[in-house]
Amino acid sequence: MDIQFKQVSYTYQPHTPFAYQAIRNINLSISSGEYIAIVGHTGSGKSTLLQHINGLLLPTDGEVQIGEYILSSNNKRQDLRKLREKVGIVFQYPEHQLFEETVEKDISFGPHNFGIPKDEISKRVLSSIEKVELQTNFLEKSPFELSGGQMRRVAIAGVLAMEPEVLILDEPTAGLDPKGQIDIMKMFYQLHQSKQMTTILVTHQMDHALKYADRIIVLANGEVYMEGNPEEIFSKTNQLQEVNLDVPEILTLIQDFNQRFNGTIRYQRQSIAELAKEIVEHFRENKRL
Amino acid sequence: MKSFMIIGQFVPGTSSLHKLDPRTKMVTIFSFVIIVFFANNVLSYGWLALFSLALILLSKIRIPYILKGITPVWFLIIFTFILHLFITREGPVLLEISTFKIYEGGVIRGLTISLRFLLLVLVTSLLTLTTSPMEITDAIEELFAPLKKIKVPVHELALMMSISLRFIPTLLEETEKISKAQASRGVDFRTGTLKDRMYAIVPLLVPLFISAFKRAEELAMAMEARGYNGSEGRTKLRELKLTNIDYIAILLYVIINIIFFTLRQ
Repeated sequence: MDIQFKQVSYTYQPHTPFAYQAIRNINLSISSGEYIAIVGHTGSGKSTLLQHINGLLLPTDGEVQIGEYILSSNNKRQDLRKLREKVGIVFQYPEHQLFEETVEKDISFGPHNFGIPKDEISKRVLSSIEKVELQTNFLEKSPFELSGGQMRRVAIAGVLAMEPEVLILDEPTAGLDPKGQIDIMKMFYQLHQSKQMTTILVTHQMDHALKYADRIIVLANGEVYMEGNPEEIFSKTNQLQEVNLDVPEILTLIQDFNQRFNGTIRYQRQSIAELAKEIVEHFRENKRL
Repeated sequence: MKSFMIIGQFVPGTSSLHKLDPRTKMVTIFSFVIIVFFANNVLSYGWLALFSLALILLSKIRIPYILKGITPVWFLIIFTFILHLFITREGPVLLEISTFKIYEGGVIRGLTISLRFLLLVLVTSLLTLTTSPMEITDAIEELFAPLKKIKVPVHELALMMSISLRFIPTLLEETEKISKAQASRGVDFRTGTLKDRMYAIVPLLVPLFISAFKRAEELAMAMEARGYNGSEGRTKLRELKLTNIDYIAILLYVIINIIFFTLRQ
């Protein structure tokens, strides 16, 4: 499903002393199957932006088009359920939304609401608990006896069980330990590749944006500040610093290395280990010369 | 819902009403609530209405915002007016529609009761609009301090009040977050039968209660970690102090009341 924002603005509590325009005049288009990262400082309008994609918020001005759905301010209350089935959102700290007695019931909550038949639901529950790498004996447990990381996985499984076409991730790694972060990000990337799922990642961690995204959108003060592929975006160091964003360490390292040792290493999504090998390679070649 | 309910909401500002000591505001406004019931003719009602209007102007809060903010109360005011219009049977008949008769007394009664109502709501909402919840609890603690002598735990009550006030916005925010998360999982809070909608609340309430309990526990721990042990020997960061503006306000208020009592019959 293609997603298009056409001059979208959104104001919280309009016509009161508390009126606050969170995003203004946003124009964006995201094609089906893309992996997009949205980055920006706190309060730059990221969360507001993504709540427009499944109709949780309707634009005050402009319109949002998602597949065949068009959302605008003069929309009468339409049945958004069909849209929400296709757009899954993993909110920040999704473990706070768990409420059922067992993990199984909680995961099947979404599909059940969308009227999926029972036998199909149990298939989905099994496949999604597998995707988040939890054992099937968790299904009978209460979600509240699990650890924080496990609860997060259960909550994510609950969104995956809806089998959405668009998956929105709002800082899915916040509060996880480093290994948990890597695991979860890898899992989302695999899902993205195997199912051609459109993935929109909102993150503070530039490494994740660099590593996984096809395209990065930088928001600042509610407007699109920059847009482009990761290499382009992160080469504009000064512009990034202006909106308080950092360049990932691995890029600064490569840049400094190339400058100091006349290197020609390019960033191609390599891991630290691979980069180390390239550096060793570089020194070997230079010695021979 | 948040966007049109202003009762209990605080609008920060620097107007002279904002600057008044909360104790002054509370005492005058509560006495005003009683005084409204003493008005008994056009002049005295007019005088009180004028006074309320002056207060609103002083607060520098936009009038349309206040009038719109008390929307739920408008219904009540109009309802009371209509009720009195039809029920009261005093004075000459003004209008006769088949079996219904509208008497002059009904119109007068309806008007006065609704005006009384409107004044009460306006002035009391001005109190919360111009006073932060913290100031209100501080003022309550101060005003009720004499009760400590008869072993009423005034400090603890005030603390409980300020904690609950402090967490109202947090809980509202939390509610909104969870309801959005569940709406994304296909819960529909707005349509469906009454039974459906009641069931839709469960996925909202359970997480809300869990997080509220967790929060309470964490707060208690954080307070203990910082050495909190009740009111014993506790000093205040912001001490309430009456300033010139308070004395002027009290003086004006007394004068206004003297004029009021000479106006009424």
